[in-house]
Amino acid sequence: MMKALGSSRLSRRRFLTASASLGISTIAAPHVARADDPTLRITGWGGKWGEVMKAEIGPAFESEFKCKLQTDSAFPYLPKLQASSRSAPIYDVLHTNSNEQWAAAEMGLVEPKIDAKLVPNLTDVYPYAISDKIVGVSIFTSAIGLGLRTDKGYGSVSSWKELWDPKYNGVRGGYVIPVNSLGQAFLMMCGTLFGKGQTDLDAAYAALEKLKPIKIVDFTGAMEKMLLSGEVGLCVIHDSGIYRYDGQNQPIDFVAPSEGVLSLEQVLTITPGSKMKELANAYVNYMLRPEIQKRLAETVWYSPANSKVKLDAKYDAKLLTTPEKVSKLIQVDWKWYNERKDEIDQRVNRIFRA
Amino acid sequence: MSEAATRRPNGLALFILPGALLFALFFFLPIGLMALMSVLTGNPVVAPKVAFTTRHYARMFDDPYYLEVIWTTIRIGLVTTLVALVIGYPLAHWMARIKSRTGHALLLMAVLAPMLTGIVVRTFAWMTLLSDKGVINQTLISLGIVSQPLKLMYTETGIVVGLVHIYVPFMVLTLTGVIGRIDERLEQAAENLGASPLRAFIEVTLPLSLPGILAGSLLVFALAISAYVTPILLGGFQIMTLPILIYQQISANFNVGFAAALGIVLLLISLMLVIAYNHALGLVSGQRELQ
Repeated sequence: MMKALGSSRLSRRRFLTASASLGISTIAAPHVARADDPTLRITGWGGKWGEVMKAEIGPAFESEFKCKLQTDSAFPYLPKLQASSRSAPIYDVLHTNSNEQWAAAEMGLVEPKIDAKLVPNLTDVYPYAISDKIVGVSIFTSAIGLGLRTDKGYGSVSSWKELWDPKYNGVRGGYVIPVNSLGQAFLMMCGTLFGKGQTDLDAAYAALEKLKPIKIVDFTGAMEKMLLSGEVGLCVIHDSGIYRYDGQNQPIDFVAPSEGVLSLEQVLTITPGSKMKELANAYVNYMLRPEIQKRLAETVWYSPANSKVKLDAKYDAKLLTTPEKVSKLIQVDWKWYNERKDEIDQRVNRIFRA
Repeated sequence: MSEAATRRPNGLALFILPGALLFALFFFLPIGLMALMSVLTGNPVVAPKVAFTTRHYARMFDDPYYLEVIWTTIRIGLVTTLVALVIGYPLAHWMARIKSRTGHALLLMAVLAPMLTGIVVRTFAWMTLLSDKGVINQTLISLGIVSQPLKLMYTETGIVVGLVHIYVPFMVLTLTGVIGRIDERLEQAAENLGASPLRAFIEVTLPLSLPGILAGSLLVFALAISAYVTPILLGGFQIMTLPILIYQQISANFNVGFAAALGIVLLLISLMLVIAYNHALGLVSGQRELQ
């Protein structure tokens, strides 16, 4: 009896062992409890997109497919994917703009195409969403055009070329071309406007040179703020960046130039090394469902890629929701662009330095 | 017994072991990896065929644009250091010599207060002052002094203004300690021997405070050439510096090798400065270079 009592006495070693075990099990408990749920690692934007994904769309997917969604919204994603192992990539599904998807595909980091047998909703998307200019599938697009201050008496704007009008000197806005998709797409547009086509870089460089003085920013969010504050009066911007202020009585408007609008696609791809291929395909299919597309489109003013989506009148009037409207989209050959990116960057960095 | 004593681990060595390990793990290892990546064609962990190459360095030295970026970075660093020294020295001298404890505390708080706010916030504050629609330009326009906004932002001057504001406290705090240790009686002796206060300062205080000037300058220069947020926001991407170029190469061009080569160049610039500092300090203090 005494021996038994003695053996149960709390020694320092036992106390430390018990404390350590208790600590580890406390920390590990939630993870152990969730160990059975597979985890799908994706990327995604912050802001309104992130809010609705976190509050509604993500949890609904988790509930339906009995899994966990782990979202990385800390941009840039590609360098992180690039640094991770090919056989155990940091993401299962990569969501980013088309230019980066092409770079990822060139490096073998994402699968170039989505299998329509595994993603049935792919049959309902507009042709641009799976065209030869797209790696993976574009689930939404924005239209890149011009953003205008309507309270400065500039008059109406209908062409891209009006951005070169001297009256916008000091209030003209553009992007840091090496780091911004809109800037890169606009450079290609310059080739079309002033040269033989998108790939006429010399014409594009000459046009950019004439665009100075211009205020340049890295993100569209920064451009929105510049336009709202009146720092810029006419700028390159995507329609979502203007329409999101709908109903706030802001003196800004989106102009779809007569030469056409550029396409800013939101693209999903699956990584070749993903261990969650089935779930990844299910996620892509889920994001293309009409009800999901409608909810996100009406939250962030992105034009849905699924042709079966019926938006409310307010959104339908402004977004690209019919084959006729979609046909005005100009897609950029990002494969061609990425092959020359270093050369282009060096040149435009020189053009825009102070 | 004596052999056992010699085998006993040195207490001081054990004391510095964690710090040394931390230093090795988070300083030497990353820098070593960066140096390695700068001479490889790809990432050996994920890419199957990787070879040694000098192409990243060749690219940098073949194109004058990159040399211009390096020079711009150094120029901004030098001007920031000089302005921070000119502003910081009198302030540090005042702080070191002030007799009132309350006065010293108030001055110290004034110097430290800006450091309690993040660099991004402080830079945005400068943007609200310097932008075309900012306080300065709007005031000048409303007073009729200028008709068009002055170009205060998106210039090297704008960047230097922001950097000086951020790094002056580093200069002041470094100098205050050094000036505070200079015996005031030396200045008094010089004045008793007929020197004017200015001459006593130039011939006594200033030379004795040189180690502080060098240390503060080195610190501010190193911070200024590696700054990212302030040059990007106040320079509006129109002033390219090495840290911006490095980020651009990693985030948009996915060229880790070239980014690593640029990082090594930035490191070498800092290293050369530390060596020059050691040399100068040795000459100033009448010693040989620090070993």
